[in-house]
Amino acid sequence: MDAKVQHPVDEVKRLQRCISDLISVLALPALWQGGDSAQIGRTLIEVLPRMLQLDLIYVQLKDLLGEVAVELVRLAESSDSATPREVGAQLNRLLGDDRQKWPLRIQGRLDDRNLAIVPMRIGLHGEIGMLVAAAERSDFPGQTEELLLRVAANQAVIALNEARLRNEQKRLTNELDQRVAQRTRELHQSELNLRNTQAELANMTRVMTMGQLTASIAHEVNQPLSGIITNASTCLRMLDANPPNIEGARETARRTIRDGNRAADIITRLRALFSRRQATTESIDLNEATREVIALMLSKLQGNRVILRLELADELPLVIGDRVQLQQVIMNLVQNSLDAMIDVCDRSRELLIRTQGDETDHVRLIVQDNGIGLDPLVADRIFDAFYTTKNGGMGIGLTVCRSIIESHQGRIGAKPNNGRGVTFSFSIPRSPESAGGDRLPSSAQKPAADQPEEVARSF
Amino acid sequence: MDTRALVSVVDDDESVRESLPDLLREFGFAVQPFKSGEEFLASEYVQQTKCLILDIAMPGMSGFDVQRELKNRKQQIPIVFITAHKEETTRPSVLEGGEVACLLKPFSDTDLLRGLLRIFASV
Repeated sequence: MDAKVQHPVDEVKRLQRCISDLISVLALPALWQGGDSAQIGRTLIEVLPRMLQLDLIYVQLKDLLGEVAVELVRLAESSDSATPREVGAQLNRLLGDDRQKWPLRIQGRLDDRNLAIVPMRIGLHGEIGMLVAAAERSDFPGQTEELLLRVAANQAVIALNEARLRNEQKRLTNELDQRVAQRTRELHQSELNLRNTQAELANMTRVMTMGQLTASIAHEVNQPLSGIITNASTCLRMLDANPPNIEGARETARRTIRDGNRAADIITRLRALFSRRQATTESIDLNEATREVIALMLSKLQGNRVILRLELADELPLVIGDRVQLQQVIMNLVQNSLDAMIDVCDRSRELLIRTQGDETDHVRLIVQDNGIGLDPLVADRIFDAFYTTKNGGMGIGLTVCRSIIESHQGRIGAKPNNGRGVTFSFSIPRSPESAGGDRLPSSAQKPAADQPEEVARSF
Repeated sequence: MDTRALVSVVDDDESVRESLPDLLREFGFAVQPFKSGEEFLASEYVQQTKCLILDIAMPGMSGFDVQRELKNRKQQIPIVFITAHKEETTRPSVLEGGEVACLLKPFSDTDLLRGLLRIFASV
């Protein structure tokens, strides 16, 4: 080995320089941290010529598809400026295509100079690229120079593989971001579609409700109309008879007028309910409104042998609303209970109407019967189901009840009793003045149940 | 004894129960009004009834319930359904069998008479 014949001092210096260069080469990855293949190539042609006194260095790096992605060259200052591509082509001719068969060192003309050329494969088979170092001096490459080149090439392989991994990661992250963005767009679109569908559904529900209301109005009006037509027909036939039945005709004519008035009443009521006018709002005492309704329905309750219990709370706060509409709701709930109790023969028919202040500044009215009851599964739907009960012409169904209560910012509901029958109740907000204390303080109020206004009033 | 054919009227609406019997008497029938299907079925008039004028939508038993119960009892009474709901006239069970007619309230006296005559012609 030539190293052994050298002077020991020179040998030490040579080794010191070699170690120092080696450390520099090993430090390269720190420079490359996070860099791409172009940066790695640039660093190699920057550092190695100074370290090894090269006259030419050429770096070629390939991308994942095997295409040349980076091609760099650095020439001695005296040289003409040949392009990396031209140097690459000259090297290809000198070295041949098969990178496995490259010699360790070749003497050849490159960039118009006679150079000692050392080709290094980057990657085991040169699949990542090539590093070519060349110098005019005949002793190139020395043992340490070859070592340094080899280490530099290996370092480059590690850094390039890392860069590739990073790129792949970046690509995957981008792809993921794009997919997320795409999904987000799709989700947004679905949400829009859903919203449209909901709007359509709401509209359909409105149309259906209108249809139901129309049907119920037709039903309400057709009942008295039917009576009018039948009575008038009978009247004519009685008058046409021989001899004419004057007394019978008079009676049927009277009934015709009565049914006509009934139809007119219904129209008036419906107009009040459905006209676009602002509902008349006033302060209402629900107890009083309830008493009025009961007075109207008393004969009906008596006729059906209903035991009525009224538990109207003392000092009930006033509510703001449309008196007629709220009375229609009460009437409807009472009629509903009556219909539900008509079949009850094995026990007394009991109806409880209770009013009470609510803990949430609401006033509640409860109508409880012991009739045929309600399937819990349909408790929410009965406000939609229009045809299942007939209201005897007094109200126009629970659907309207609900729309009235909701227009008063209230809630209405029904639930089966623990025993028999159903409890309907609605609650609406108390009027603001009522909450202010123009009533007696709450300590003066007694619980409604303790002070039943009329208990077990039997008919 | 009354030899006229008995027509029973079942309707929960009072004005129908008042007006229809008078008209039917003018037609020459004997008439018995009932305010519910249950009341009719429990009465002694079921056997004698030659024709039943029956409201469909009633609290408690509906007109269809009454029809079914009569079928169960093997009582062959021709039925004229009367209803204020147009869609109920198109329900299949309303029109099955030749002994059934259906009138939409309000109906004219001539429509009712025509329905009754058709039923009594086929009896």
